[in-house]
Formats: sequence, C-alpha cells, structure tokens
Amino acid sequence: MEEKKLPDVLKKDTTRRDFLKGTATAAGGALAISAIGGMSPKKAEAQYSVQTAPGTKPFAQKFLYTARHNCTGCRSCELACSLFHTGNVRPDMARIWIEKYKDIVDVPVICWQCDDAPCIAACPTTPKAITRDAKSNGIILNEKVCLGAKCMKCAEACPAKYVRGNPDTGQPLICDLCGGDPQCVKACHAQSGNPQGPCLMSRPVGIGMNMSFRNVTPEEAGKDLAHLLFYPNVEGKRVVPAKTRKGR
Amino acid sequence: MATPKGGNFGKVLEIDLSTQTARTRAIPDEVYQQFVGARGLGAYFAVKEYKAGKNPLDEDAFVFVGPGPLAGTMCVSPRTSIVNKNPYTGLLNHGECGAHLASEIKWAGWDGIYIKGRAKKPVWFSVVNDKVEFKDASKMWGKTTDDTHEMMIKDMKDSRIRSIVIGPAGENGVPYSCLIVERFRAAARSNAGIVFGDKKLKGFAVRGTKYAVPVVDNAKFLAAANVAKETNISDPGAGRRKVWGTASSMETNNFVLGSLIVKNFQTTWWPDVVKLGAEEAERKFWKRHVSCTNCQTHCLKLGVLREGKYKGLIAEAPEYESGGLLGTNLGMKDFDQMAALIEACDAYGLDYISTGGVLGFTTEAVEKGALKPSDLDGLKPKWGDGDTYMKLIDKIAYKQGKAGKLLSQGVARMSKQIGKGTDAYANVVKGREMAAHDPRGDKNRFYTYCIGTNGADHAEGASSSDLCRVAMNDSLCLCTFTSSGVWGASTDKIVVDMLNPLCGWNWKTDDYWMAGKRILTAERVFNVREGISSKDDRLPKRFYAEKLPAGPKKGVVFTEEDHTKRQTDAYKFLGWDEKGVPTEVSLKAYGLDFLIEDLNAAKRKYNL
Repeated sequence: MEEKKLPDVLKKDTTRRDFLKGTATAAGGALAISAIGGMSPKKAEAQYSVQTAPGTKPFAQKFLYTARHNCTGCRSCELACSLFHTGNVRPDMARIWIEKYKDIVDVPVICWQCDDAPCIAACPTTPKAITRDAKSNGIILNEKVCLGAKCMKCAEACPAKYVRGNPDTGQPLICDLCGGDPQCVKACHAQSGNPQGPCLMSRPVGIGMNMSFRNVTPEEAGKDLAHLLFYPNVEGKRVVPAKTRKGR
Repeated sequence: MATPKGGNFGKVLEIDLSTQTARTRAIPDEVYQQFVGARGLGAYFAVKEYKAGKNPLDEDAFVFVGPGPLAGTMCVSPRTSIVNKNPYTGLLNHGECGAHLASEIKWAGWDGIYIKGRAKKPVWFSVVNDKVEFKDASKMWGKTTDDTHEMMIKDMKDSRIRSIVIGPAGENGVPYSCLIVERFRAAARSNAGIVFGDKKLKGFAVRGTKYAVPVVDNAKFLAAANVAKETNISDPGAGRRKVWGTASSMETNNFVLGSLIVKNFQTTWWPDVVKLGAEEAERKFWKRHVSCTNCQTHCLKLGVLREGKYKGLIAEAPEYESGGLLGTNLGMKDFDQMAALIEACDAYGLDYISTGGVLGFTTEAVEKGALKPSDLDGLKPKWGDGDTYMKLIDKIAYKQGKAGKLLSQGVARMSKQIGKGTDAYANVVKGREMAAHDPRGDKNRFYTYCIGTNGADHAEGASSSDLCRVAMNDSLCLCTFTSSGVWGASTDKIVVDMLNPLCGWNWKTDDYWMAGKRILTAERVFNVREGISSKDDRLPKRFYAEKLPAGPKKGVVFTEEDHTKRQTDAYKFLGWDEKGVPTEVSLKAYGLDFLIEDLNAAKRKYNL
C-alpha cells in the first residue's frame, strides 16, 4: 500500500546514475527530517557543510546549495537575481526560480555548478558559448556566440532541468554566481531566515553534495518534498468536502 | 494629464464579458496621486461611474482587481485589492488577499483588471502580458477552487500562473461567497463570488513575463524599501507571526486580551482554545511556512493531518479569523474538525467569517428554541458538533434543502425571517457578520467594525488614524502586518520615502494622510448615497446589553460612552459631521468637489 506512494525516483532501475539519485533523495529526506525538529539555524547549517578529510584544504570555489524544505516560496531570490542582472525586478529574467508543486510545496530550482558541467559539454559552438569562470566557479554565457532558442542543447543536458530560455532573446539563463557573491543567497538570508533557517546557502562545498542533489528535476524534487512534509497525502489532494470528491 | 513616470503603467485592463473583448483604459498620473491605486482606484471608479441605488448585479456592474504602485518591486507589497459594490450589504466593498497575484498583474504590464459585462455561458480568461484569451469554463463549473486552479495550469501549460477563482458557492449565488487565490488564499471579505457567479465568470489566470515596474530613482527606492523591510523584521509582533502566524492571537486573545469570540459572542473565555490554537497546531499539524511575494513574515502555515477521520487533510489552518469563527465561535474542542471546516470553506469559496457567524447564530437560535430541527432538514447543530456543521456548510454552498436556503441568506435576513427575538443575538454590522474580535474585550475594534467602509470588517484599523493608514495600505497593497499601523512597524515617513523615488512624486507625510482621508471619505460618500449614516455605525445589541460573563475582561460591557467617544473621534478626524456625513468643506479640502452634488441629494433624500 505505502509502496505505491513512494516517489517514482526511488523505483527506477539502479543504473549507477539512478543509484546515486536514489541515495541522494533518501539522504536529503533524512537530513531534512532531522533538521525540522526545532534545530537552531546554525546547527542546521553545520549539518549540511561537508567535512573534508583531515589535513586537506576545502575547495576555495563556491557552490550554491538549497535546503529545499526550508523554502517558503517568497521568491526574494528571483527578485534579487533579476535586479542584479537586468537592473529591473522581473523574475522571468532570473537565473533561479521557484516552482510550485501541487500548490502545497515550493521548489527552489538552482544551478548546482556541477563539477562535470553537462551544459558546457553539450554546448555545440566553437568556442563554447558557455564556460566556467575559474575564479568564481559561475557559468558564464557569451551572448555573441550562443545560438539561442534554436539550440538549447545546454537545457536538454541539464540534469536538474534548471536551464530556462530568456523570454526576450531566447538564450539560456544560467547562473554566474554574480561573480562570486550570489545575490539570491543574500536575499534569502535578508528574510531573516524562517524558523528552520534559510533555504539558500553558498559556501565552499566538497565533491558529492552538489553532484547527487542536482540529478533531481523540479517535479521530482516537488514529489520528494510533498512526501517528506505532507505524508500521507503525498499527492496534495483535497480531502474535504467529500461531496465534490464523489464527482458532483 | 500625464502618464505616470514610475510605479504605475498608467493603464488598466478592461474586460467586457458580454462581448468577450478587452481594451486598455488609460489612467493619468493625477488620479494615482489622488487615489493611489487598488482600493483607492476602485473607490474612484465606483463614485465616478455608479449612481445611487445601482444594482450590484447589473450587467455593467464592475469588479476591480488591483495591485498597488509598490507591487512587483523590491518593496514587500504582495496584496491584491478587490473592489465592487457588494450585493450582500448594498455598500461599497473592498477585500484584500495576499499571494503572488498582485506582482504577476504588474509584470504583465497592468495596473489592475476591471471586469464588467455578463457572459451567456461559463467563461474564464487568461492574461499573458498584453494578450487576453477568453475560454470556455463549462467543464470547470461546479468544481472546487483548487481543481479549477489545476485545470487552468493544465490549459495554459504553465505552473507559474496565478489564478483567482470562485467555487461552487459563488456559482450558486451565495451572497457571502468569495474569491480564492491559489488554493489557500481567500479574499474572504470581498464577497465578490456572487458577482463573478452572476457574470458567469469562473475566474482568471495571469502570467507576466514581459514587463518590469518602472522606477524613477532606483538607488533611493531600493534603500527605502530596505529600511521598510528591516524595520519590520526587527518588530517583535512580526517575529511572532513568523513563527506562529496570526493563530498565535487565539491563545493571547483568550488568556490576556479577553477578546476571543466564543459561541456566537456569548463569552470570550474558552480555555479549550489550547486544543485549537497555535501551540497545538505547531505540535501536531503545521509542516511548513508559506510567504507572499518577497515577504519575510511568511504568516501562512500549511499542515497535514496524519490520522483520524480526516487523515491526509491539508489545510491552511488555523489563522486567527478562521480559527476564531469556525473554532471557538462554534464551541469546538477538536482540532481536526475545525481544520476540516476551514478547508471546506476554502474549497467552496465561502467567506469563513460570515459562514462561522451564520453557523454560530443558527446554533444559538436552536439552543434558544427559535429554530427547530425541522427548519434545518432534521439537523440539530450543537456547540462543538463538527459533523453537523460540515453538513450545513455543504448545504449552504449548494443552497440545498430548507437549511441551505435559510442559512445561505446570512444572519441579518435570517433573523428578520425567523423573528422570535433573534435580533438580540444577531451579531451583524451593516448587514454583515462580525469577525473574531469581541469589541467588549478590545474596544478599539469599534473603529474597524463600525466606521470602516465594508461593515463588520476585521482589518480596517483600530483607531481613527489607523483607519487612514489601512486605507493607504490597501491602496498601496502593503500588508497591514508589514506596513504602518497598529500591526506593523513602518511609519508614514517610511512609506512616503518609498513612494517618492518610485513614482517621481513629491509627497510629504501630510499628503499620505490626505490621500488616506480622501479615499475613506470618497467611500463614505458612496455609502451615504446608499442611505448610511451615524445610526448604522453601531455595534449589535448584544455588546451594549450583555456583560462578559467570564475571562480577563469579566463584567465589561460596551457602553454608550465608549460608543460616542470613538464615533465622535473618528468623525472629527476624517472631517465628517455628527451624522457621519462628510462636510462640504472637507470634500473641497480633499479635492472631491465632484461629489458635493451627489452628497447634497443624498442628504435631502435621507433627511440628514
């Protein structure tokens, strides 16, 4: 009975990639549950930071990270992102976005700055229209080279289904980490955190964390969240009024 | 006539449902400087276009859905105002709600959506930037609000649309039906559901990708918006709402303030509130916090029931008004039952304040023998009997059976029909049920219940100056919790500092107060034309006659002195005479000269 309600992602054949995906989801769920029980934001943050082996230096480069279950759907990240990149508040120009799932959970969709960057690998132009900035670790778009809406190979390749088209030019919107100081993280923290702590974080992160979390599409992440937060009603169905449920 | 430089686009989308056409209506900057937007702009349309005695269900009657100038910017301004002449009270009405609709309308390039006309068959329409499409709603007709929203998402293939819809209650013409935004947000006090239903309009969805709100001086504006945000973050009241939402007032108002409503305002003391309030909800129900656009307070709490009869129920419950009206007001002790009642109102598109008022009144009438189970299809509501209340809500939404027909009229008409001394406990102001604050425990609620435009509203301010601040908040579409007023920490200066660099205006704080008074007074003139005067600015009999039997305010009654003091204070502050009619001098001072003729006609007609 309960078996059926598991998110699809947990039931896929276990190829290496899917296996990674499955464990990531389960691990994320476990982390999230433990973080919810009134833990202080500081403690919750500490739990998320990946410990590097003793004697080795953590990476100096930056990554974005989101504790999805902490998102309240305020979209201040979207507003801050579009303000920084276009000078205007216009969320559809943002390089981060909040997807609603079944109207009960909000899923922050971010660029995970993947170490293997499938988007860059997929870019067909020479030179590449999207490259990684060695200093900030952000992904930079060269608008002059990019083929725009007719190509979008980067969007196809993105395992997180994160890359969207710019509504004006059709070219992909990809996260450049604001040159090393992500505005979305600032905006999220400026909301003074929700009782469980902020949703977005940016810090040097070790290998593994962003790799596994990125392999979840917004919809799958929404399912995960609905399962985590609203079990047993994982589909978000309306329970009352009974009358309309009988197909009135 | 100048086009606005910033904040507004200077155009309102006008929808005519009769011809299924859309056109642009230009609004000059002068009008915004006078009436600001949203609630104020709606009031402007109403006093300009309606003659006295206008039938609110006429084909050319309008519903105005408006965001304010600050919406869609870095300022926390997520509210949408819905303005129409209310068929329930016969007065001008504004209802506000949160979520993301306001910003989306702005990003689609509009200052508001003005809807008139009447379709022959059920329709809905979508607004994507400049493009409006009318669509068949016959498959949506009869569906609950969330199903309708899902169908709109499927049709538009876009999960980021923002919708505002009615449920079965609005379609069936229940006069206290309302509009629901994105499943859980209710513009409950708008009472526009019946108007949408009459227009055969199921709702509409908006998506804005193309436009950004123009800002005259971005650097100054951003700094000012940041000051407003920081001020409200550091406010202790906002901190409380962050954690527990408005539900935290349930316990406070019972144990400290003595203004929680219990059993149709019989008392304010209900120790069982601990089984219904914020603490209980946090322990066993709430799972996440939800924000409106850019808001740091995220006062909406969503939860799920993990066991019991309503296993799996996801609801936005309780917040203060819903927990008060459908919880303590009905003598409930069972959290699950209360959550289910609240959820049912959201699904049907019923105003839960009026619904709770009706159910409370009915129960007391049965208790006192004025109503018999035979009048209610054999149902016998008792305090705390959630199952019977659920059945009654079903009947109200579909106007089904004797009970449905009776209860869907609302308390004022029910009491008139039943007679038998029921008027002693019919708690209505200007024909509408009261919200969850007992004015004996919280006497300044007199202002919002009696002086406010809507009648019996909970959110129109708790002092003379507060009425003015709330009028400005609703017109700017700032939330009362994150702006100026008793519930917010901002000041008039903070708001004006945001407006000037945004719109390119040159306002002083005096202009802020003037605009607030102008909007309130214009609305009052509208209501005076409908026959309202000081005699209607009165609380129900119960509050003057019965002392509170228990609780922190035991023995308190709302005296005539309490009444006169507050009434005189408000009239004086707003420039109205002792009969509650705006004076000619103040109309001229507010720049409302065009209303003098109307007002004089009304004064002659009603002998004021």
